[in-house]
Amino acid sequence: MERQTEGSVIYLDNAATSYPKPPEVLQKMVQDYARFGVSPGRGSYDLAVSAADLVWRARKKVAAFFHAPDPSRVIFAANATDALNKALLGLLEPGDHVISTRLEHNSVLRPLFFLKEKIGITYDLVPFDGSGRVDPDEITKLFRHKTKLVVMNHASNVLGSVQQVEAVGRACRERGIALLIDTAQSAGHIPIDMEKMHIQAVAFTGHKSLMGPAGIGGLVLAPGLDVKPTFTGGTGVESHNLKQPADYPHRLESGTLNLPGIFGLSAGLDYLAKVQENVEEGKHEIRLAQMLYDGIKDIPGVKIVSPRPGADTVPIVTCTVSGMVSSDVGDILDGDFQIAVRTGLHCAPLVHETLGTVKTGAVRFSPGPFNTGEDIMQAVKAMEKIAMRAK
Amino acid sequence: MNNQNSKTAKGEPGQSYYRSVAGLTLLFDNEDYLWEPADWTEDVARVLAQECGIPELTEKHWRVIRFMREFYFANGRAPLNRQLKQGTGMTLMEIEALFPGGIKQDARRIAGLPNPKACL
Repeated sequence: MERQTEGSVIYLDNAATSYPKPPEVLQKMVQDYARFGVSPGRGSYDLAVSAADLVWRARKKVAAFFHAPDPSRVIFAANATDALNKALLGLLEPGDHVISTRLEHNSVLRPLFFLKEKIGITYDLVPFDGSGRVDPDEITKLFRHKTKLVVMNHASNVLGSVQQVEAVGRACRERGIALLIDTAQSAGHIPIDMEKMHIQAVAFTGHKSLMGPAGIGGLVLAPGLDVKPTFTGGTGVESHNLKQPADYPHRLESGTLNLPGIFGLSAGLDYLAKVQENVEEGKHEIRLAQMLYDGIKDIPGVKIVSPRPGADTVPIVTCTVSGMVSSDVGDILDGDFQIAVRTGLHCAPLVHETLGTVKTGAVRFSPGPFNTGEDIMQAVKAMEKIAMRAK
Repeated sequence: MNNQNSKTAKGEPGQSYYRSVAGLTLLFDNEDYLWEPADWTEDVARVLAQECGIPELTEKHWRVIRFMREFYFANGRAPLNRQLKQGTGMTLMEIEALFPGGIKQDARRIAGLPNPKACL
């Protein structure tokens, strides 16, 4: 498909958000919203019922995508951070113990810290090894009587490394501990099967590799895991009752839903189902990431901190340039070479603390489905020039 | 430290603090960015540059600093990368090379622009 980006920019920041969106996703989202953009589940007129039906279909698609048995336990949220907050604040109680990792994004670290300060939970953060992976045994070693939850990302947003979720899930199931997975980086790249992987809750976002718009994501719950509502309001059902409905999804969804976002997410999932019929298509970004990794790994002054992309990573290559802060590398890539990347700490400060890159940050390249080998060649050439002038 | 520049203790992150620079008592944020861009003077820039390891500001430094400030006061924000390149007639790589701590940390600080508050 022809790329349609602003100007001639080579966009390599797909781990932040996929760009551009497939035109057919945007078109379908706009078409559906133009046609059915009324308040779903609130009125009995045909248009409102039709809108509610489309929302239900979207829930079913999400449930099928994550191999979750009950679509009513697909809770729409603004993004993965919102979904993680719903889960963490709704699950944890004073005295609970949580296990997480040093790979986490602030979307997990900050709610955990907040709950520690606010209600007195405790938590341990498991370190990762040189390939960016957490040993499942290191997690199980920390299980204790009060451990209620393990929360971890499926793939690191800094290193791209994919975690052994199934092994962790099996151990959690044996101990009756819930497992919450942040799939912000993995959904759309790595198959996620909640049943097979013994995952009780998945937080996802629609705007990255699910190819939907920003502002839509969600929480998918396995049967048996109950989350308390952390905000309440109108749901369109049980209006006579001042208590929040106990049934899902209303229990955790108040206020008018983000209908254009849901339509866009639904169209994104359709798009993915279509393109992933072609297995080679799914490997395209990994091949590009490998090409980039191999192209810059021997440039003097460039230090790659992420593992070589492959079957056990998402398409991310992260590096530093000797003597330069990452934001300047990013500004030069942008201003002089029209290449857009993400720099800084990537909202994952403990990863950078471990890597020793807190002061400078790091430069993250994340190719997407519309990038080409030529884009990667341009990025490699640019990095050669930047590294040559590095102090 | 020269006698034109006596520091007071910095506050906690997110707080501001006063210090004396080039004979003026100025408010800075905790990361040493000037709080109020209008308080900036060329003498202040010279002192801040020395603190950044630039003993003397050259014509090229001034070209960057002046463009950044003109753009800021005309538009209410710092220039985009391409605007900085176009407005100074220099590449970003050339600009970065002029300032030991780089563009966001040094050039922007010396120009008296507000803290971009971005993870570097």
